[in-house]
Amino acid sequence: MKKYLSIFMVMLLVLSIGLVGCSSQAPADTPAEENGEEATEPSADDDVIRIGVFQPITGANAAGGELEVEGVRLANELYPEVLGKKVELVIVDNRSDVQEAASAANRLIERDKVSAIIGSWGSGFSMAAGDAVRDNQIPAVAASATNPLVTQGNDYYFRVCFIDPFQGVVMANYAYNNLGARKAAIVREISNDYAVGLARFFEDAFIELTGDPDSVVAIADYQTGDQDFTSQLLNVNAQNPDVIFAPGNFTESALVIRQAKEQGIDIPFIGGDTWETPEFIEIGQEHVEGIVFSTFFTSETPITSESETFLAEYRKRYNREPAAVTALGYDAYILILDAIERAGVVDSVKIRDEIAKTQGFEGAAGIISLDENGDAVKSAVIKTVTDGKFIYMDTIEPF
Amino acid sequence: MKIRNTILTLVSIALLAAFIWYADSNFDSYKIRILNLCAIYTILALSMNLINGFTGLLSLGHAGFMAVGAYTTALLTMSETAKQQNFFLKPIVAPLATITLPFLPALLIGGVLSAFVAFLIGAPTLRLRGDYLAIATLGFSEIIRIVFTNTQNITNGPLGLKSIPNNTNLWWTFGLALVTLILIKSLIDSSYGKALKAIREDEVAAESMGINLFQHKLIAFIIGAFFAAIGGGLLGSLIGAINPIMFRFILTFNVLLIVVMGGMGSITGSVISAFAVTAGLEYLRVLDESINLGFVTIKGIPGLRMVVFAGLLMVVVIFFKNGLMGTKEFSWDKLINFFTSKKRFKKKEVGQ
Repeated sequence: MKKYLSIFMVMLLVLSIGLVGCSSQAPADTPAEENGEEATEPSADDDVIRIGVFQPITGANAAGGELEVEGVRLANELYPEVLGKKVELVIVDNRSDVQEAASAANRLIERDKVSAIIGSWGSGFSMAAGDAVRDNQIPAVAASATNPLVTQGNDYYFRVCFIDPFQGVVMANYAYNNLGARKAAIVREISNDYAVGLARFFEDAFIELTGDPDSVVAIADYQTGDQDFTSQLLNVNAQNPDVIFAPGNFTESALVIRQAKEQGIDIPFIGGDTWETPEFIEIGQEHVEGIVFSTFFTSETPITSESETFLAEYRKRYNREPAAVTALGYDAYILILDAIERAGVVDSVKIRDEIAKTQGFEGAAGIISLDENGDAVKSAVIKTVTDGKFIYMDTIEPF
Repeated sequence: MKIRNTILTLVSIALLAAFIWYADSNFDSYKIRILNLCAIYTILALSMNLINGFTGLLSLGHAGFMAVGAYTTALLTMSETAKQQNFFLKPIVAPLATITLPFLPALLIGGVLSAFVAFLIGAPTLRLRGDYLAIATLGFSEIIRIVFTNTQNITNGPLGLKSIPNNTNLWWTFGLALVTLILIKSLIDSSYGKALKAIREDEVAAESMGINLFQHKLIAFIIGAFFAAIGGGLLGSLIGAINPIMFRFILTFNVLLIVVMGGMGSITGSVISAFAVTAGLEYLRVLDESINLGFVTIKGIPGLRMVVFAGLLMVVVIFFKNGLMGTKEFSWDKLINFFTSKKRFKKKEVGQ
């Protein structure tokens, strides 16, 4: 009995591998009339242009990935065609896992034969895919990965958001000019590449502005997931800074601010784009009133005509305000489409060259010009919290 | 009989080599990547099985050892310019900045370093038993990760490293998996291995038989850590980018899952299950896509494969309580018996 069972199991295994092997010949996404009897390998001159999207759809970062996919899907619905061909999205999940991200990107390139790739939320995942896109010469556009290393030394990786150095400089300028701060303290989430990078660039810019190498009076660190920040805050407060720059994850940041206010520390807090989530206000409640942060995008004052289209369509479909990363996902898609249009052919190397040439492109989240590294040079938006809502304050142009 | 088995083993190694040779030049990079991952997970599962399965120590420090291996290998193989590019926030410490070694020495140094760390950790913690050891090793792996996050001038901190040279190929991964397999197999069959199994079964009995518990446990722990670091180094070089978040507890859990699924204390089980889990997760991606049955198209739900995977795991846990293989091992004799056996052998099987 056991013998037959094990033979049966092996047969089942072989059969399932065989099945999958066959299906890899023609991706399941192709419409019925196309993957006819012979099941040919999809090639570039098909009637369909495939754009791959790899995002964390399950796992720790699923919320961020989902928002970006929303933007890409919306853009695909609004602009479903280029060069008279249908554009098809191939969305794969990277399970919020670095190793899986690399496999997902490889799969898009090898199995789905995509012409370009969008993704991923999270710089670490994008970096993991970097080697695959470079070696296979498939252009990739990251929507919201802000770590400078993502595009550095990789001719095939681009992004539609600004990078951490710019955001750090923007906030240093804001602290110096608008708040009149001469002494700053930094409270950063040490295990977060984003927060560490931002803190460093803020520090450099602030020291340059004040001309005083000791103008950053205190730097305090905490770990992702920490709950109590009392000792860090007391240390920072003892140095009497004029402003506290606290880049980090929204949960921890909201707790930091809340505990500071509860201790009677009345120093203005400023931060980065991660704060712009409903949870931030939910956790921080009235304590986060008046904080200021920089972000990519605002839905209150449309920056370009594309923003208006995007906002109108998004509100119609989802009946809520879009997040910044959704707008960036949307931008990544239309930027690639524009490059394909200019290239005139579906050839990934030509598309890559055209993406690199992008200048003054009107996206939903601002005007995008790519510099020699493939990073977007674009304006930042300053927002604050008033009456439990994010309120637009100012737009800062790139320097 | 023995000669026949040796010949069969050599033939299958030759077949494996032929397969790798064929795959290397004919498979696309996606399939090669999956095969590489399978082999790397085989190394990791075997090393963990030595500690958890054969010696019966519940150690959850694997991600920490992998991190040591991955970072050492990456830092030693990266070129000077790549390092400068990576360390743009804080420059890298002086001697590391200029050292560039070939792949194999870098891997081995990573392994030795990890074995040394294992010695340091093992010396105090291996005196603990059961749950306490699990907690201590889990804590250690978190400590390693946090140390790597904070030593920005050595590991580039939370920014991670990229542009790690892609030295990993099928020859390296399968070659090293085979070496690991042979070494661990010979260790298990030696007197040391028998002592390890004795410790797993009953520590008091083993001790009264004259086995030095602490020494044997430490040896198993150190060897396991060495191979974990080799696996980590290969993984880092395969992906080309690493960061501390990669080495969270979940990575240890993934390896533990492979070991438990294959069978604690079965080398065969670890190998089968490393391939099944790693490749299976990729195959299941089909579920995430929309499926076209000709007459009806089922819209794909991204993430569905994880649900199905969890379901399959539950089936395995319910129907194979000791993992797919239990503590059984593959052997040529059994395989040949399986196909040639008549009814008279059947009775024996039932009795097993």
